[in-house]
Amino acid sequence: MINFEDELKKFHPSLEIEEAEDAIYNQDLTDIADLLVGLVKEDKESAGSKEEK
Amino acid sequence: MICYNCGATLTHNDFCTNCGADVARYKKIVSTANLLYNEGLDKARVRDLSGAIESLRQCLKLDKSNVDARNLLGLVYFEIGEYVLALNEWVISKNLRPSKNIADDYISLLQDNPNKLDVYSQAVKKFNQALSYCYQGSLDLAVIQLKKVLSLNPKYVQAHQLLALLYINDEQWEDARRELNRAQKIDVGNTITLRYLAETQNILDMDDDAGYPGGGIELKGKRGASEGGRLKKDAVDSYSSPVLRKETKTATTVLNVAIGIMIGIAVAYLLILPARISAAREGVDENLKAAGEQLDAKTAQITSLEQDLKIANTQADKLKEELEVYIGENGTMTAMDSLLSAVNSYLDNPEDMQTVAEYLDQIDEATLESTSESFTTVYNLLLSKIGTDVSAGYYDSGMKAYQSEMYEDAIKDLTKAYSYDNSNGDALYNLGNAYRKSGDIVNAIDTYNKVIEEFPDTEMATRSQQYVNELNVD
Repeated sequence: MINFEDELKKFHPSLEIEEAEDAIYNQDLTDIADLLVGLVKEDKESAGSKEEK
Repeated sequence: MICYNCGATLTHNDFCTNCGADVARYKKIVSTANLLYNEGLDKARVRDLSGAIESLRQCLKLDKSNVDARNLLGLVYFEIGEYVLALNEWVISKNLRPSKNIADDYISLLQDNPNKLDVYSQAVKKFNQALSYCYQGSLDLAVIQLKKVLSLNPKYVQAHQLLALLYINDEQWEDARRELNRAQKIDVGNTITLRYLAETQNILDMDDDAGYPGGGIELKGKRGASEGGRLKKDAVDSYSSPVLRKETKTATTVLNVAIGIMIGIAVAYLLILPARISAAREGVDENLKAAGEQLDAKTAQITSLEQDLKIANTQADKLKEELEVYIGENGTMTAMDSLLSAVNSYLDNPEDMQTVAEYLDQIDEATLESTSESFTTVYNLLLSKIGTDVSAGYYDSGMKAYQSEMYEDAIKDLTKAYSYDNSNGDALYNLGNAYRKSGDIVNAIDTYNKVIEEFPDTEMATRSQQYVNELNVD
């Protein structure tokens, strides 16, 4: 059975136009491809430092 | 697909032919992102907008640079009334690909139509206000506010759902079902809509079967007992699509073959749908413009007619005034009648001066100025015929009144005596006396001055001068 209070908590205020700029700037755009590229770079760096030693 | 390391176009190899970077995993990620984009596109086509949002967001988590997915996500957000979220996606998309990007058109469509943008903005503000009313417990106010929101933006899914929830809370099941059906028409796969709809439908079915009005504890008991029935069936129905989607997701290898075809379809879809939306909007805008122009034309016509009416009223008033001059108490027609009666009376009996004089008295001196030349000629002729005798009659009666110290009557008769015969200097002189005795100094001086002017070198003039001097000293 639907509980009004519980259901009401699922509704959130919509973004207003004044908040759009902040929302765009604060959006985390990091994707899996970024993480992968980061990991590959770290891997290369660690491999390079081992070779130096 | 381009290399993440050097930006060169990748081949079928698992390494970049330009820089040698290992791109096997990267290609896998991008392929999976494309797959999710295709899923999102499929869902959007069948109006499963919630499902489309989920797939597209996952796609963008894997590959943020998938501009098509981002544009489609914006379009879906816009369709469910979340226009700020839509704008966010389009702006980011525009930054990722500044040229040849359909997001440009979407943003322009909104920016070029500030009225529409304002309506959407108002709808969002009112929705947030309604939600705030709900938290405060002012549910009636929330319902009113949500109705306003939906009149501004009928595609606002969240508003439909919240309004339905308020109706459910108030046990207005029919209204709730109506709102949920509207929400479902926009987004068929929204789980909140489906869940509320199943609950509402369940209650309405029970009402139909049992034939008793809903509400109260008894209703809640029955409702709870039947949850395993229709609710479960609807829930299964509504979740069948996601399950199927998961199955298709497992068939990645097969779908990879179809990716090329899907991309083609996707491009066609992204080009055709916005054009249709744009055409529909243009049609609505044109209709609104035409209606506005018609309204302006009608308003101008009304203003013009009002001015005409005003002019017509002014002319009518003017004509009425002119008519009054002719037929009024002192009008030309009345004067004409009086003159004809006087002439008629004189021709009948020239001796009956009194009757002729009465008729002539009815003619106002001011009216004489506006009459014709022939009228004035006849009037003056008649006056010359009877003037002296009538003047003598009025002079006698005036002097009697003067001697009896009835100065008002004396002034009246002596004025007439002088007006009928301008050579009757005694009448004018005694008129001056009557004015003086009655205390009307101004008229007395004027009359004496007239005596001095009209009858110089007479005793009357000398006396008049003395009186004038006395009165001026006083």
